[in-house]
Amino acid sequence: MDEDELITGHLQELRRGTVVLACLLRLRTPDYGYALLEALDTLGFSVDANTLYPLLRRLEKQGLLTSEWNTDESRPRKFYSTSPEGEQMASALTDDWGRIDDSLRRLIRGEDS
Amino acid sequence: MTTLTDRYVWAVVRTAPEKQRPELEQEVRGLVADAIDARLEAGSPTAERDALVELGDPLALAARYADRPLTLIGPAYYLLWLRLLKLLLAIVVPLAVVGIGIGQFVAGASIGAIIGSMIGGAIQVTVNLGFWTTVAFVIMDRSTRGAPIVTWSPDQLPEVPSPTQHSALGQLIASVAFLTLFLVALVWQQFNPYLTGSGEVLPVLNQDLWTFWIPWFIALIVAEIGFAFAIYFRGWSYPLAGVNVLLNLAFAVPAVWLWVTGGLLNPEFVDAVAQHTDENFAEAWHITSIVVVVSLVVIATWDVIDGFYNAYRVRHPRLSATS
Repeated sequence: MDEDELITGHLQELRRGTVVLACLLRLRTPDYGYALLEALDTLGFSVDANTLYPLLRRLEKQGLLTSEWNTDESRPRKFYSTSPEGEQMASALTDDWGRIDDSLRRLIRGEDS
Repeated sequence: MTTLTDRYVWAVVRTAPEKQRPELEQEVRGLVADAIDARLEAGSPTAERDALVELGDPLALAARYADRPLTLIGPAYYLLWLRLLKLLLAIVVPLAVVGIGIGQFVAGASIGAIIGSMIGGAIQVTVNLGFWTTVAFVIMDRSTRGAPIVTWSPDQLPEVPSPTQHSALGQLIASVAFLTLFLVALVWQQFNPYLTGSGEVLPVLNQDLWTFWIPWFIALIVAEIGFAFAIYFRGWSYPLAGVNVLLNLAFAVPAVWLWVTGGLLNPEFVDAVAQHTDENFAEAWHITSIVVVVSLVVIATWDVIDGFYNAYRVRHPRLSATS
């Protein structure tokens, strides 16, 4: 495994856990699957299509997302949006993200605790 | 005519529960269409194919939608499965093979047929054990949704196998004691022999063997004692494991041959025993013979394997330092 592959692997690993939070934040504005996939891709969350779509369904089952079929356009599309429970979850996860960021910054500065 | 998309959508929804299918189908169809559109805008001539490649194996997608595991046995059960399978194979296969061998021998099969059925039996038992154990674990893994039923605790830690030193003295004492006993028995049976009811004395072993075979076995026993000391002082090594093979062959081959040809025991002694037992003596004797031959072969084989295993362990110590 060369250097590039190694760093790519670790970066993916680092971002994997943030995909749920990214979805919850991004879907405050309702959107459909493929648009979300492209938006996340542009932002650097490289998530596979066959992982993201089942994830959206699971989040919907958990009540964190709601969905609605939009039939305005030529083709019906399922639009997902963050539910109130999803908002709460997003803010809890965001708080934790802040704590992780804080801890890492301390480590970067070389503080012990 | 069905398109690639139709076939893909069908492959995904096929395994979904009936009542979820229409909705899932619509969703997947939409996802594929969006992906194709994006590629058509970019001017790709193989938009549909590329879009499907991006979505990947439809069965994997379906499994993720249904939250089905994509492994046969998950990490919660894998080690338990491996441990149990190894244990079962190590116990059941040798027992079954020896059992089959004895059974065939009693039935009067030829040597070739016996070996053949032992090999066949070993393969059959191995395959069956592997298959049924795995099936049981797959069912367990699915029915508990991958939650472990047995949690590991430090009590399960195995002892660190010591190369040789740990029990070397104990083994030396055991070997020498056993060999000395054997030596004494060889001589004792001649001078303080089996007593018949009439007070007549009979040596157990065939008298003719004193010309060559009994001295041969006595020399072998002395050599084995020397070998036990060599192991104690030098530790196991591959050359010594090789010597162990020669010693075992030198013992087991003549012993089996003498037993099978009937030259080992004193015929008068056998007759005397026959008189003291009932009329089933012939059959009982036949079975005893088989057990003796099988035991000789199994013990020699085991000893040879054990020798090489010990040599291997010395060459590949498990831990460099133990407290």
